[in-house]
Amino acid sequence: MDISSFPILSLIIFLPLAGALVIALIPRRNLAAIRGTALLFALATWVASLWLVLGFLPGRDVVASAAGSFQFVEAVDWIPHFGIQYKVGADGLSVALVVLTTTLSWISILASFSPIRERVKEYMISFLILEVGMLGVFLALDLFLFYIFWEVVLVPMYLIIGIWGGANRIYATIKFVLYTLVGSLLMLVAILATAFTFQAATGSWVGAFDLEKLAGSGFDGTFQLFAFAAFALAFAIKVPMFPFHTWLPDAHVEAPTAGSVILAGVLLKLGAYGFIRFAIPLFPHGAHVFAPLLIALSVIAIIYGAIVALVQPDLKKLIAYSSVSHMGFVTLGIFIFQAQGLQGAILQMVNHGLITGALFLLVGVIYERTHDRTLAKMGGLGAITPVYSAAFGFFVFASVGLPGLAGFVGEFLVFQGAFAFNPWLGVAITFVMIFAAAYLLWMVQRMCFGPVSEFLAGLGHHLTDMRPVEILTLAPLGALTVVLGLYPGLVLDLIAGPVKAVLAAVDPAVAMSIGR
Amino acid sequence: MTWSDLTVIAPFAAVVVVAALVILADIVKPGNRHLALGVVLAGLAIVGLLTLWTGQAPGTAFGGMYKVDNLTTFLDVIFVAIVALSCLFAPDYLEPRGLPIAEFAAILVFALGGAMLVAASADLLVLFLGLELMVIPGYMLAGYHKRDALSTEGAVKYFLLGSFSSAIFLFGLAYVWGLTGSTRIADVAARVGEIVAGQATLSPGLAMGLAFLTTGVAFKMAAVPFHYWTPDAYQGSPTPVTGYLSVGPKVGAFAVVLRVFAEALLPLRQEWLIVIFVLAALTMTLGNLVALTQDNVKRMLAYSSIAHTGYMLVGLAAYAAGVIGGLEGLLFYGVAYTFMNLGAFAVIAALQKRPGVSSRLETFAGLGRREPVLGILMVLFLLSLTGIPPTAGFFAKAYVILAAVQAGGWLTVLAVIAVLNAAAAAFYYLRVIVYMYMRDPTGEPAPVAHGALLRLGLGITAVMTVILGLFPGLLLPSVSSAAQAIGVAIR
Repeated sequence: MDISSFPILSLIIFLPLAGALVIALIPRRNLAAIRGTALLFALATWVASLWLVLGFLPGRDVVASAAGSFQFVEAVDWIPHFGIQYKVGADGLSVALVVLTTTLSWISILASFSPIRERVKEYMISFLILEVGMLGVFLALDLFLFYIFWEVVLVPMYLIIGIWGGANRIYATIKFVLYTLVGSLLMLVAILATAFTFQAATGSWVGAFDLEKLAGSGFDGTFQLFAFAAFALAFAIKVPMFPFHTWLPDAHVEAPTAGSVILAGVLLKLGAYGFIRFAIPLFPHGAHVFAPLLIALSVIAIIYGAIVALVQPDLKKLIAYSSVSHMGFVTLGIFIFQAQGLQGAILQMVNHGLITGALFLLVGVIYERTHDRTLAKMGGLGAITPVYSAAFGFFVFASVGLPGLAGFVGEFLVFQGAFAFNPWLGVAITFVMIFAAAYLLWMVQRMCFGPVSEFLAGLGHHLTDMRPVEILTLAPLGALTVVLGLYPGLVLDLIAGPVKAVLAAVDPAVAMSIGR
Repeated sequence: MTWSDLTVIAPFAAVVVVAALVILADIVKPGNRHLALGVVLAGLAIVGLLTLWTGQAPGTAFGGMYKVDNLTTFLDVIFVAIVALSCLFAPDYLEPRGLPIAEFAAILVFALGGAMLVAASADLLVLFLGLELMVIPGYMLAGYHKRDALSTEGAVKYFLLGSFSSAIFLFGLAYVWGLTGSTRIADVAARVGEIVAGQATLSPGLAMGLAFLTTGVAFKMAAVPFHYWTPDAYQGSPTPVTGYLSVGPKVGAFAVVLRVFAEALLPLRQEWLIVIFVLAALTMTLGNLVALTQDNVKRMLAYSSIAHTGYMLVGLAAYAAGVIGGLEGLLFYGVAYTFMNLGAFAVIAALQKRPGVSSRLETFAGLGRREPVLGILMVLFLLSLTGIPPTAGFFAKAYVILAAVQAGGWLTVLAVIAVLNAAAAAFYYLRVIVYMYMRDPTGEPAPVAHGALLRLGLGITAVMTVILGLFPGLLLPSVSSAAQAIGVAIR
């Protein structure tokens, strides 16, 4: 069947919704059917996304427009009164992140089978709706539609943390929602203002929310400053960039394992994606003006995240702060406006999703057995659970950036970009890598090496090694980590088009001439 | 009176007949709630159809005192829906408490008549008549649970402040009449236009008139700082009455605003723009801030309804600044607010079916487990009130904010205030969800069976909340034509 004649993107976005509706019809006592259906639909979505990759590859080099070059575009009038469309389309960046999302989604659902025993029905429905929102964000080409998917993500995550989370879950989840909401509502004002500005200039609402029409339409310089600031605030909170990161450690600590996986793996990428897809192409002048500030905040995040991670007593909190640091590389790579930097940033988004997702899964494995995440109580796991320790070590090394594993390439490219941008900056952040190695390796040491701790010894035979299901959830992530480490070209090839498009949009000659 | 007069006022006449029939039915078969409800619902269906039929051919009656335009029809349909839904939600709450249903329904239908008269008024006297006919039944309903001290207290406050505000409003009308020599809305507008055209500053008389009118109407719509009656009246009233009071008189007050400010005093819009701007900012902010501290859901929704008044005023301010989209946004907001707010109150009423159940947050603890359907519906209404897509409340907010952004200048600041308020409001709406899904129930009350009418009403409000969120385009043509009826392109 020819993929281009088929609404493949809508299928991918709404398959999980169909799954949620089917689950709603299953009696709540039938846990096996609920879990099975959720996994089935998540897997089907995953397969569809792989099919999308195969269909996408042949046309990936089509010449880019100001916003990028999109395939499989579906556009239907939705609210014609305001020119709002249901418009979706995919470029290499979307495709890469869609596959990341669908992969982590089915893995998370599978990993939830055993820890989630209460209100399984509501959980699975929330999770599938969450997937709809995330996929929609990555595929929407209409600003209004994008905003709706952006907000759709919020509610299920709020419920997942708030219902199935830890002791302090209510505080964490409300903090998460309020932070995100403040940013996104200001972005809504900016979206509406952008659309109206377009309408005022062209005299018609047609295309006023259409990313492809808006990008490169050259908004007035002052307007770009305000609009970019509003978009950037929303995305910076989501990434999260320093100083908007404080919701993240709370949310991570309280979220159930699968929630943490998705939070780290996909939700943080929504912010970075928003910068690349919307904020920069729409308001290149604004992006240029704010770039120094955002670069500074990124560098602070890289250093600050690493230092704070060093002293965390809680495993999840440690990984959460490491995420702040790693996402700092992403935003740094984006805002130095430089090919290697941007490639590295996008690669780092994918890698961070895989590796940190896996690390949170591993924390979940140990938490399920010990009901504790305090590093001080751990020790000597290598002797009791060798498979677990090996897996843990593997992903930690990937996270540190060991050459040959995925984490290395992304960071290396960002370094390269940073050196080209400013050698001193490059030197500075290279030194931070020592911190990263320090907190991560020290974590492994405290977890796996040394004598078996009293706490763990007290658990006796309850502390079993990994079960086959758990290995199954980690294996695909491990495989991808190796493959992308050895052959990063898989992703770099996909994103060559989008990278070129973004860099063309922020070309100083173009961007700075606006509003002068 | 001619035949054409009769066809134009047919919906209003039908309302009066329905109200009389309900009373009659209750006299013939006292206490037969099936008969009373049957008469009301059938009657309202006929009124609704008549409204749509009359709306096909806009016209005036009684020498131009009464007019039907697209705005009238639009508002009338909302009013009929509000009263019909209130009647659907009421029996489950009223019956276990031994409160009579026929009286409730008859009073509501009279109020409906008043609201429709306001919407159809082409003359300020008719408008005032309609206003009083609309609010006096409200006082009665608020104190309708007469053995309940809270209900009586709320009703007395509502009555006293309501009467004062009516008097103040009338005083303002007197000024306007004195300066323009007419009570016809069209003449007033023309005369005010002439007065304003020749002067750089506003004459003291007009300024006084405007101030009194604003004050009076701000009381009716519960805008800050004229909102003090609202929480007591809302908390004290029986829950279905509260649901009605939070929606009916509010949309009615906006009908007054549209006829008086947006139509008769349109030439003064630069002056009242500033007033509305300040009122909107204050109302949103204070309503939300106080709502944050409430632990009684009815009282919380009372303050939140004040905040919603503020959002609607943003639309009005945008219209005053010359953007017709502001008017459209206001009308859309009215519809969305009707369904989501009535729905939320209906859920509370359903929970309180057993007498003695309070509307405090604890009542909601573990609701998601005890009554999954009610829980999901409440989540839907709360998300819509918060303004999370894809719900009606989201599109309504986006609409008024878009209008404010279009107006530009200081109104952009108002838009930003509005969204910051929406974010703050998320806190208290979500807290109810926290109780419903994240706290365990205190004790395990036996489940209650909900009536068919209540379920029907909840179904309607929920479906409308979702449909207006997913496909707002369905309503936009009517909203536009209603706005066009009074909003000539003023820019």
